[in-house]
Amino acid sequence: MRATWPAVTFFAVAALAPVVVRDAFFLDGLILILLWGAAGAAWNVAGGYAGQVSLGHAAFFGLGAYSAALLGTRWGISPWIGLLVGAALATAFGFILGFLSNRLRGPYFVLATIAFSQVLLIVASRWRGFTSGSEGIPVPFRPGFWTLGIVDKRVWVYLVLVLAALLYLVQLYLERSRRGYQLAAVREDEDAALSLGVPARRLKVAAIAVSAALTAICGTLWTQYVGFVDPLYVFSVDLSVRFCLFAILGGIGTPLGPFLGAALITILETSLRARFGGIGAGLVGIYLIIYGVVLVVTMRFAPQGLLRWIGEHLRRRPQPGPAS
Amino acid sequence: MRHVKWAVVAGLVALAVGVVGALQAQQLSGEYKIGVLEPLTGNLAAEGKRHLEGYEIVRDLINERGGVMGKKLVFVVGDAVDPTVAASEATRLATREGVKIITGTFSSTLCGAASEAAARQNVIYWETSCVDPRLTKRGLKNVFRTEIDGTGFGWYNVEFIAKHLAHRLGKKPNELRIAYLSEDSSYGQSVTESARQRAKQEFGMEEVALEYYTFTTNDLTPVILKLKNANPDILHHIARNQDAILFWRQAREQNFQVKAVVHAGATGYGSPDFGKAFGNDGNGPFALLEPGPGFVIEKMRPEGQQIERAFRQAVKAKTGSDVPTGGHQLAGGGLWLLKLVLDAAKSDDLDKFRAAVLAMDLPVGSAINGWGVKFDENGQNTNARVQHYMLQWQGGQLVTVWPEEFTTNRAKWIPLGAWDQRK
Amino acid sequence: MHAIPQLLASTILLGGIYALIAVGLTLIFGVMRIVNFAHGEFLMLGMYLAFWAFTLLGLDPYVTLVLGLPVIFGGGLLSYRLVMRPVIHASHDVQVFTTVGLSIALQALALVLWSADSQFVRTGYYAVVVRFGGVAVNVAQLAAFTAAVLFTGGLFAFMRWSYTGKVMRATAQDRHAASLMGIDTGRVFALTWAVGITCVGVAGVVLAPIYPVYPSIGLQFVLIAYVAVVLGGLGDMVGALIASLLVAFVEVVGSYVIGTAWKEVLYLLLFIAILVIRPAGLFGQRGAEVMGT
Repeated sequence: MRATWPAVTFFAVAALAPVVVRDAFFLDGLILILLWGAAGAAWNVAGGYAGQVSLGHAAFFGLGAYSAALLGTRWGISPWIGLLVGAALATAFGFILGFLSNRLRGPYFVLATIAFSQVLLIVASRWRGFTSGSEGIPVPFRPGFWTLGIVDKRVWVYLVLVLAALLYLVQLYLERSRRGYQLAAVREDEDAALSLGVPARRLKVAAIAVSAALTAICGTLWTQYVGFVDPLYVFSVDLSVRFCLFAILGGIGTPLGPFLGAALITILETSLRARFGGIGAGLVGIYLIIYGVVLVVTMRFAPQGLLRWIGEHLRRRPQPGPAS
Repeated sequence: MRHVKWAVVAGLVALAVGVVGALQAQQLSGEYKIGVLEPLTGNLAAEGKRHLEGYEIVRDLINERGGVMGKKLVFVVGDAVDPTVAASEATRLATREGVKIITGTFSSTLCGAASEAAARQNVIYWETSCVDPRLTKRGLKNVFRTEIDGTGFGWYNVEFIAKHLAHRLGKKPNELRIAYLSEDSSYGQSVTESARQRAKQEFGMEEVALEYYTFTTNDLTPVILKLKNANPDILHHIARNQDAILFWRQAREQNFQVKAVVHAGATGYGSPDFGKAFGNDGNGPFALLEPGPGFVIEKMRPEGQQIERAFRQAVKAKTGSDVPTGGHQLAGGGLWLLKLVLDAAKSDDLDKFRAAVLAMDLPVGSAINGWGVKFDENGQNTNARVQHYMLQWQGGQLVTVWPEEFTTNRAKWIPLGAWDQRK
Repeated sequence: MHAIPQLLASTILLGGIYALIAVGLTLIFGVMRIVNFAHGEFLMLGMYLAFWAFTLLGLDPYVTLVLGLPVIFGGGLLSYRLVMRPVIHASHDVQVFTTVGLSIALQALALVLWSADSQFVRTGYYAVVVRFGGVAVNVAQLAAFTAAVLFTGGLFAFMRWSYTGKVMRATAQDRHAASLMGIDTGRVFALTWAVGITCVGVAGVVLAPIYPVYPSIGLQFVLIAYVAVVLGGLGDMVGALIASLLVAFVEVVGSYVIGTAWKEVLYLLLFIAILVIRPAGLFGQRGAEVMGT
């Protein structure tokens, strides 16, 4: 229970913030932190807990985004249904990817995930008749809860908070449950796990499918929040890498890690932008250099993530994360 | 564990402090602040910065002429790297900086998100450049666009082909064979599709080829071979910078013969990069743009002439170039129109502003770029008023060749003829 | 049908370039078992090297090629020392993210230093075309192809017949056995990395006269290189060469027959198909993909 103190604090602060603060920009930042944190956490289910590192998770994000946008604009269907459809589609594709993960290991799998998301990107940006091609889809804003047309940012905070809490609990489950331990065994040494009778293949596929569905849900919520779907963005490798970044910087294999990573990154970027706006904005690009360097350094010194590196100096029990 | 908890709490306290600090009132008397949102980092930064420069040039001109609503015009700048950030920055400008008007954003994929965010904050969104046709079709009362959209580009291109090129080629418009080649982003698709539609439906031109490609492609030779087979009279090619250059080089290698190449916009054939890459070897293609060299300023209306001259002088003073770039012209031209509207409305209240916008009716030649003003119900400045011009590469430079009443230059090399013959 | 010779010429020219990029990538994987996600950024750096040498020093890119060789090689060694050596024995995931981080950092650095504007190396001969048998070939492309062939050939010869090459091949086969035989695997890794980077850096220099130079140009080439490398079998250099030609063929012919809009989908689907059906690649060892090593 001690381990959950930071998480409780985090979620409590997030829940109380809208009551105390009215500033829309601050709330916007909070919403994005929770949303990106959730996306990073969804990635973490596959990447951190199941050890299936993917650089193509934007594929699922995009599926969620497009499902909601297309169903909404073409047939006037509620984005809540779109959310379910997106999650279902993502699960199906997740199974395909899971199948691949059982045939490929290491870098082969990573490359496959990249190819996967790129194929979806190209299809989305060429299929003009269906997806409006590269022009993307503006999502019409229809006020109402059923249409997820919500102006009040405070409601958005609570909405995304529910998603974030859900993802936190899913990860916690993977930390503490029997299934979770089995998954950890598969992650650490699949052959040994198999020899112990752990259904490694099924677990991996299940983890990826769940991760996919949850990522798609993040995609749907993002679409309704921002109001515009651009295929070159929602399916991009850059976005996939960001999901990993959130989880890695904050700590793979810790339930709160992705949220902290998302918080760090969002705050850094936002303050840099606010400060250096204008012609000298070239300097703002520094944050990208920082990510790259921090990623390299983190992998060198603290592959389990910053949070875990701190934690490890206080605890001595084996933790999930990439084997070093 | 305590350390971790404290780290989290400390981080959140820092965040709170930042919030409180930034919430201090920024308004100074005598200044009127608007938000400017452009991509200043990332891949679109080159064009974004040109737009920002254009805004700054015209802002200074405006302040020399009494500012807006009696106050000095001041900018707060936001960096719109991608759609999420565009929305966040728009929100920041509206809430944190308290602006009532946001202008920008140049890229079709950014303007959608940015205008949505602006709408949610009840802020006026004054788009000066993005061409997505749907921007002004969402029923948002606060969104206005000074520049024509992608369909307008296609409209003008076909206008030029049908009304000018056709008779110079000795053919009727419906006798023309036209091939469409385009990069496949939002920009290329919107212009190409609208051109296709107008060409076919209004003029009955025969479409002999349609090819989309990713602008980062490594090789266009197969496409060129296909085009050779199709044997078009006109090539309607919407390109970005690198693909225009690749195409032109490889088309020459393959000895691709076509009678005219028509493009629209400040990228590709409309970009100074094309001239830099080819010099005189790049002579021939047409690009739909704002007015370039050869533009007869005297044909504008008196008030238009004044501001156009001042604008060009200011551009020269700031960048050393006699010719403003497309980005300067779009952003600067749009900002000037904003000033005209604010002068008329005397208020940034949405209803009064909107009324002033819809009431404004200025003929072609009244403002920068020789533009006029007549917004439709959707907040879109109409095609006929936003006069566009066809420029052609001659002598390693883009010069204005059409409409003929506005320029001293004339279009050359129709048909294009052999590759080495256009010096 | 008259298009066939030209299409073939395009295939070979493009394939040669892809091969030079792919060969470095596959060498690094073969010996070090690392997929270098920053490979494209080294290509970009090679292009910028040629550009700055041209702009500031007036050096023709082919001169830069010769003079710059030690610079590129040195850069490879330096990046190995600073970035890769600490994680050489770490898990795959750690290595993946290390090169991803390197990729992000290098691209962002180029963006901040040199902006996203496209730069051009406009040599006097850029438009010179060689024509034979109904085929038109740009001189710079031909030169790039020639350089690619020479370098790739030289690399093969080196790996096949030199002592160091043998040492590298031994390490590729079994690094533990190699070190038991007295081979300093650390130095082998450093050399391999540097050679791989040199190949792609050279590719960048010879591509500079042909393509515009901007920070994210690495991506459009490197994705194809990954496909070629996996198709040929990770670690197999001849396989990478043949696969590069194959991918170029799919690209060029696919563009012509089906349409340029779908050419990326074609080779990406080919890629996924290979991964599903025969992940070890056409020439790789079966089962390599499951071992992951």
